Parts: sequence; C-alpha cells; structure tokens
Amino acid sequence: MDFQAEVNCGLHLVIQTSSLPEKNKVEFRLNKETSSFPGRLLQHDLERNYSSRQGDHINLVSSSMPSFPILQRSSEEKILYSDRLTLERQKLTVCPIIDGEEHLRLLNFQHNFITRIQNISNLQRLIFLDLYDNQIEEISGLSTLRSLRVLLLGKNRIKKISNLENLKSLDVLDLHGNQITKIENVNHLCDLRVLNLARNLLSHVDNLNGLDSLTELNLRHNQITFVRDVDNLPCLQRLFLSFNNISTFESVCCLADSTSLSDITFDGNPIAQESWYKHTILQNMMQLRQLDMKRITEEERRMASVVAKKEEEKKRESHKQSLLKEKKRLIINNVARKWDLQQNRITNIATNQERKDSDSQDNSQNDGGTMSAFPEETGSLDSGLTSALQGLSVTDTHLVEVDGDTLSLYGSGALECLDRNWSVQTAGMVTTVSFTFIEFDEIVQVLPKLKIKFPNSLHLKFKETNLVMLQQFNALAQLRRVDQLTVDPQGNPVVNFTLWKYYVLFRLSHFSMQKINGTEVTQNDMIMAERLFGILAHVASSELPQYRLISILGDARKKQFRYLLETKGKKPGIVNEENNDSKRLVGENTNRATLNYTTRDFYNEKLEEIKEKKKFCKTYIEDLVKEATEINMKNEALQKLWPQMFIELVRDAVIEIRNKNSYMKICLQQITDQK
Amino acid sequence: MLSPERLALPDYEYLAQRHVLTYMEDAVCQLLENKEDISQYGIARFFTEYFNSVCQGTHILFREFSFIQATPHNRASFLRAFWRCFRTVGKNGDLLTMREYHCLLQLLCPDFPLELTQKAARIVLMDDAMDCLMSFSDFLLAFQIQFYYSEFLESVAAIYQDLLSGKNPNTVIVPTSSSGQHRQRPALGEASTLEGVEASLFCQCLENLCDRHKYSCPPPALVKEALSDVQRLTFCGFLVALSKHNGINQALGALPDKGDLMHDPAMDAELERLLVQIPGLVNSVTAGPEASCLPSRPPPRVGSPWRPLHHARKVDAESDGSTEETDESET
Repeated sequence: MDFQAEVNCGLHLVIQTSSLPEKNKVEFRLNKETSSFPGRLLQHDLERNYSSRQGDHINLVSSSMPSFPILQRSSEEKILYSDRLTLERQKLTVCPIIDGEEHLRLLNFQHNFITRIQNISNLQRLIFLDLYDNQIEEISGLSTLRSLRVLLLGKNRIKKISNLENLKSLDVLDLHGNQITKIENVNHLCDLRVLNLARNLLSHVDNLNGLDSLTELNLRHNQITFVRDVDNLPCLQRLFLSFNNISTFESVCCLADSTSLSDITFDGNPIAQESWYKHTILQNMMQLRQLDMKRITEEERRMASVVAKKEEEKKRESHKQSLLKEKKRLIINNVARKWDLQQNRITNIATNQERKDSDSQDNSQNDGGTMSAFPEETGSLDSGLTSALQGLSVTDTHLVEVDGDTLSLYGSGALECLDRNWSVQTAGMVTTVSFTFIEFDEIVQVLPKLKIKFPNSLHLKFKETNLVMLQQFNALAQLRRVDQLTVDPQGNPVVNFTLWKYYVLFRLSHFSMQKINGTEVTQNDMIMAERLFGILAHVASSELPQYRLISILGDARKKQFRYLLETKGKKPGIVNEENNDSKRLVGENTNRATLNYTTRDFYNEKLEEIKEKKKFCKTYIEDLVKEATEINMKNEALQKLWPQMFIELVRDAVIEIRNKNSYMKICLQQITDQK
Repeated sequence: MLSPERLALPDYEYLAQRHVLTYMEDAVCQLLENKEDISQYGIARFFTEYFNSVCQGTHILFREFSFIQATPHNRASFLRAFWRCFRTVGKNGDLLTMREYHCLLQLLCPDFPLELTQKAARIVLMDDAMDCLMSFSDFLLAFQIQFYYSEFLESVAAIYQDLLSGKNPNTVIVPTSSSGQHRQRPALGEASTLEGVEASLFCQCLENLCDRHKYSCPPPALVKEALSDVQRLTFCGFLVALSKHNGINQALGALPDKGDLMHDPAMDAELERLLVQIPGLVNSVTAGPEASCLPSRPPPRVGSPWRPLHHARKVDAESDGSTEETDESET
C-alpha cells in the first residue's frame, strides 16, 4: 500500500487505491465465540481492503473547521463497502470528519498518530471501532455510539478509563498497552465479555462488580500485587495474570471462591517460584482445568492434596511447638524475675497492678506469713510486694523440662519433680542435669534423690545458683559419679576465684572428671590441684582426733539417711545399698571425706541446738569447779590445821599410855565390855 | 610450777585466766554431742585425744567461729593451721583477692566472718581498692595481727581517734609538753604534713592500755621497738608496722619468721607422697616443689621446730592414772 502525504496547513488526506486481489479480502464477522486474543486477532484479521478505487486525491474541502480534513469516498466504494471504512496507516493526526457515511458499522484507524477521538459522533450505527496504535490520551467522543460492541484502544497513551457510560452494549474492550493505573468506570458494562488490560500500570485488581458477562480478563504484564472482586464475576472463565507481582496465595484468595474459573495463568509472578505454588493453587481452586496454559491431570490434583495435607500438619505442629516455646520462655522469665527479686537485685518498683493486688491483700497478710515464704529477703522489701508475688499462680514459678538426655530445672519449685515417678527409660536416658535460678543450698538437699532417680546423670550444670564458697563443692562429693561440671559465671560468684577449678578437681578427685566448663582436664591440672590442696586433705584426715573424724563422718551419713527417709517408696534394699555406697566412698578417699559442706541453714540450726548443750555444760563444769575448789579449800585448810592436830593426837596418846598399869586395865575392860 | 603468784589468785580466776574452763566446757559439750560414737571406745580415751589435740593445735579444725575466737591459744592454733594448709597456695605464687582468702578461711571454719578478713585486707592494701591482689605472706601476717589482737586493736583504734581529735585519754599520766599536741582540726585524711599522731604519745597510751587490758596484747617493749623510728604515724601505719615486725611475730609464736613462711619440710615431704599416689600419674612429679615460680630459696633450716605454745595444760581428768596419757602427748 502506498500513500502520499502533502503537508498543508491542515492535513491532506489522500486515499490511494490498491488493488488487492479479491481473495485477500477478509470478512469481518461478529460472532459470539471469540478466541483467546481478541484484541490482537482482530487487529490482524482486520480487513485491509480499501476499495476506494479512485486515484484521485481528495483534497481539503473547505469546512467550518479548517484543521479537520473531510473524508469523502466515491459512490462506488460507498456502495461496495457501505458498512466499513479503513483508514489504516494514513499518518492521521486527527480524526477526519466523515460525511455521509451514517451507515458505517466498522471503522479502522489503526497505526496512525491520532491524539483525540473526535468527529465520529455522527456514526451512530458504529459497531466496531479500532484505534489501535495511536496517540490517544483520553477516552472521549464516544458518547453517541450506543451500538458500539468492539472498542479497540490498544497501544495508546490512555491514563484513565472513563467516558464509557453510554456504551452499554460493549462486548470487547481492549485497552492493552496503555498507562491505566486503576480499574474504574466499567461497572455498567454488563454485556462485556472480554476485557484486555495487559501491559498497563495496574497495581491491584478490584472494582469489577457489575461485569456480569465477563468471560475473559487479561491482566498480563502489569504490577498487580493483589486481586479482589473476581468472585463477583459469575461468568469469568479465563484469567491471565502472567508477569505481575503476586507473591502469596492470600493476595489472590478470592479466586478460590469463583466457581466459573477454569483457566488461569500465574507464570512470571514471584508466586510461581515458590515450592508450594502448584499444589496450593490446585488445592484451593478445585475447579481449574488449566494452569499456566497446561492441562491439569488427575495425578497432579491428587499429589496436590496430599502435599497440602502434609503442609497443614507441619504447620500445625510447628505452631504447637512455637506456642510451647513461648510458654516456656514466659515461665523462665517469670522464674528469673522472682530469682532476681530474691537476690535483691531488682529495686522495689511495684507496678500499678501489683499495687492493686497488695492493697487488697494487705489486710489479710501479716508480716510473719510473707517473710517465711522468701527467707532470703531482708526486711527492706516491701511486704506488699511480696504478697503480690504470692498472688502469682504457683505453676508459673518453676519449669521442668526433659529434652532427650538433658533434664533442665528452673526455679526452686522444680526440685520437687525429683519426687515424681519417672519411667525407667526416661530417667535412664538423662545424662545431663541443669539447674537454673535455684539456690545451691536447696540443690544440695536433693542430691541424694538425684542420685537415685537419675543414676546416669554425669554432667551437672549450674547457672544462677548462688555458688559463693569453695566449700559448697564439697557437697557434690556424695554423688556417685560426675564426669563433667559446668558452672556458669552468671549468678555464681565462685567462678571469679582463680583457684576454684583446682579445688573442684582436688575435692572430687575420685570422680576423675573429664571436663570443667567445657575445657578438658589435663594431668597437669590434677597435679596442680593436689599440690595446692593436698596438705589440706592430709591435715583434715590425719590430724583430726579420732572422735572428730567419727563425728564428722557420722554427721554426713546421718544427713544422707535423713533425706532418703523422707522420699517416698523407700525400700530397705535401697537403704542398705546406700550404706554400702557411702562406706565405699569413705574408703576411697578418707583423707577428703571430712571436707563436708553443710548448708547455711542447717549449720545455724546445729549451732542453735548446741547452745542448750553448751549452757548445760557450762553449769555442769561450774558445779564441778565449785566442788573442786571446795575440796581444794578444805584440803588447804586441812593442811594448815594438820600440824596442830597431829601434835594433839600424839600428845593425847602419850598421856594415855603414861601409866602402863592403869592403861592395861582400861584396855581389858574395854574388851570385856564389847562382848 | 609452784611459783607463788600462781597460788596467789583465787581458784576460779586462776582457772579462767588459763582458759582451762573453756576447754573443759568444750570437751564436755563435744562428749555430749557425740556420745553414741564416743561411748564405743571410752570416755577416758576421748579426753586424752581432746587435750592432745588442744596441745597440738588441731582442735580448731572445722569448728565454729565462736570457739576459735574463744582463747588466744585457739587463735594461734587456727593461724598455724591456716598457714600449714594453704602455704602451698602461697608458694605457687598466686596472688589472691580478699574474697578468695576468705573462701580459704571458710574451708577451715564455715562461719568465719567477712569483716575480719576485710580488716586484715585493709591493713595490707592501706584502704585502697579492696579487690586488689595480695600475696600470701602479706595477707597472713596482717591477718595474724588483726585476728589475734582484735579486741586490743579495737581499743587502740578508739585511742587513736581520741588522740586525733585532740582529746588525751591519758588522764593519769600526761607528758609535759601536752599542750602542743592538742590539735584544732580533728579531721582525718587531711593532706597535711602533720598526719596521724605523735608516736611517743601513742606508745605511752598503748602501754597504759596493755596494763589494764584483760585481752592479750603484744609485748609493749616490742611495740615501742616497732615504732621507734617514726615521728608520727597513722593508725594504718601502726598496723602495718605491727604486722611486719618480726619480733611480734615470734612473740605470738604461731607462725615462723617471714622469711621462712614458705617452708615446711615435713609437709612438703608429705605432699610428695600424696602426689605420687595420684592415679595414672607419670613421673612428672620429679620436678618437686621447686618447680613453682618462686626463686630459689636459701637452704632450709634443719627441723625448725614449732615452739610449743604455753597456756593450755591438761587438767587432771578423772583418769585411772595409767601411763596411756604420757604415751600420747608430744612436745
């Protein structure tokens, strides 16, 4: 096709003829059944036959509006092609005035430079209007075309969908390749079957209600992140969302509710890269027949449901896990707070809530009750605060957790778990016991129970347990065996001492420990430990008088038995075993056995008990001393008087015997009297 | 034994002065506590052992603080026991903080009070940061003074304060030039050249204190000697002088001289024996005690014996007069 153009003040419209063979004429037929790419198809299928045969130029005819050219066709063409007019590639910059063609049904303005739709309002029979590939910036000038069925405005510069109010019969609306950002003003197009908005600037899809006939919606190559309202389209069968920005199924979840959808594409979206993409779509859109232009098989569907079920399970499981973890974390926080308070580390900041609690509980509490619950606290703590703490639920103050081979105890209440009946299998698997937020003195008291209930525990961990004295490590000697010991510096001041490890190695040498705080124990360590403290052991064993040895050892044994007796389910067999055990232990290293640890409370208790005895002893000794001094006095007095007494005795005797005869008579007389 | 002044005191006071009653009471108390165990092998033997251990100074091991503090002999024994047990720690060259020494003290006496250790540390560190490290010998000597003479030191502190504030506690004897020593400014810690109190006046007060004090005091002559070369001294300075003075250390009799503080051949031999017994030990023990980081020491004095302490004597218990007792006793 060739054409000429003459530049004038307006536009010269030159229509050239081209003799196309008749057979190239493609009839344009309007039918209900359209195929997939209506816009493009129509473009391509558009007839290219112009049958204005005349070779004359149609020049500018004077008109009231000098810038618009007027189109005129020869009458022959008018008769031949009375209902169609093609003005393709005519370098038109404006729509010409078309005179005398009121029967026109098809108008083709493809591939021009038209910027505004004008001068066609008189063509009120128009059914098909093609303005593909122009420079139109705004939809306008269509308000009289009430019969319009196909409107092709692809590849223009339209920014907004508007001015379509009267086009109620619109069947196909093609707006691809424009700059549209929002779907609007289409809700009245109840006959619209195909809507093409590909290659625009849409960021989301909604406002689709009212399009009751829509069967195909093309939204390819936009920036869509979510889709809504699609379930309001009762006839929608095909939805093309390729090359957008959809990344989750939730953003297109309305599609699951659409019963009519059978064909959908998501390729080129981030969602299509996800591992769960296929089966999630299939599972949620059971009505689909094609996905991404591929038919969905039964096998795929089955797989999808299986996978989806598994995912569901997994999600439920992990949700449960995270709930548990959260709960644990809360409990541990709770325990930590309580511990800090006990250690007087937190200053007394009572929240409003606690103040409310304390107000209500103040009258019912007396100081004695509150103080007994927290023996570590000094009187500086507000009694109101402690009563508020008691209001906390009891189960949240400690945590016991068994995780394979580790038993973790948080909070002093957790120690009670050692009284529970543990299955042999569970208890046998536990090799590590970890104590946190518990006073070491309290742990010491349950060590015998630990020995029995968890015989395989070889690794002990202490954190925030208030280990302050080297002596406290003596208490660990009563266990059967400890391979590893971990004492966390947090909350255990004893770790700050340079010699603590050596002392542990020394005192617990019979355990042959492997690791302390993660570092291996070397031969040199053992030597150093012995070198530092060996003499202490020697002194403690060989230089103590026998009775002290017995009493100290006897004490330790008595204590152990006392704790054992308090446990439930005690069998005589166990007691005997313990007896042998401790005897054996004593035999193993007598020279360290006297190094014991009594908890502070126990120690003070003992001292209190002794006070009575001391008092008694004092009075007893005093009595003895008094007696002794009296005797001494008497003795001294006797010493003083004795010489005199002796002389008198002798004198009396001499006087008696002076007269021998009379003395003899007196003696005999005495003897006869005695008979 | 039959000196006249012994017989001059009335009975009860005599016994009290020698602390005999303390030991008797304690012995009977121990008997009561452990009667089941002790009844197995006889009360006589118990008393024997008890007083033997008193003599040897091992009776204070692992006892409560109130007992350890009760008599000077107990205190001295405790100091000696501490020295013997932890000399190796010092020998190893470790410098420890006050808290660590306190920990070691607690190994021997579980309820030893922290204040005493703190005061001892203050002597060494001169009121500097209490977390500084101290050597074993420094600490031990300071601790000795603080612990053995604690009541005495308290009184001295009071006197010092009085002197510092210008009051002269000596109402009985006033040196001639007393007016010059009244100070207008009683405050401590002023960076003036006239710090502390006049040494001679101080000594005078101490002598008077010693005369009337019923607690044990260091021999006044030695105190004078210790302070002889200073004009003025602070309380801290006084304590330091006391702790470093060898004569006072000897007079106390608990510890060997400072130079010999790391030496105890008997115990070292014992330690060697123990080290050999460590299971699985290859003979890396041959290095011996000299392997520590201390420099080579002067050759040890042969058998530096511990001077037998005076005071505690066995009271004639109601023994059957057997010769058992003499067999056990060692001096």
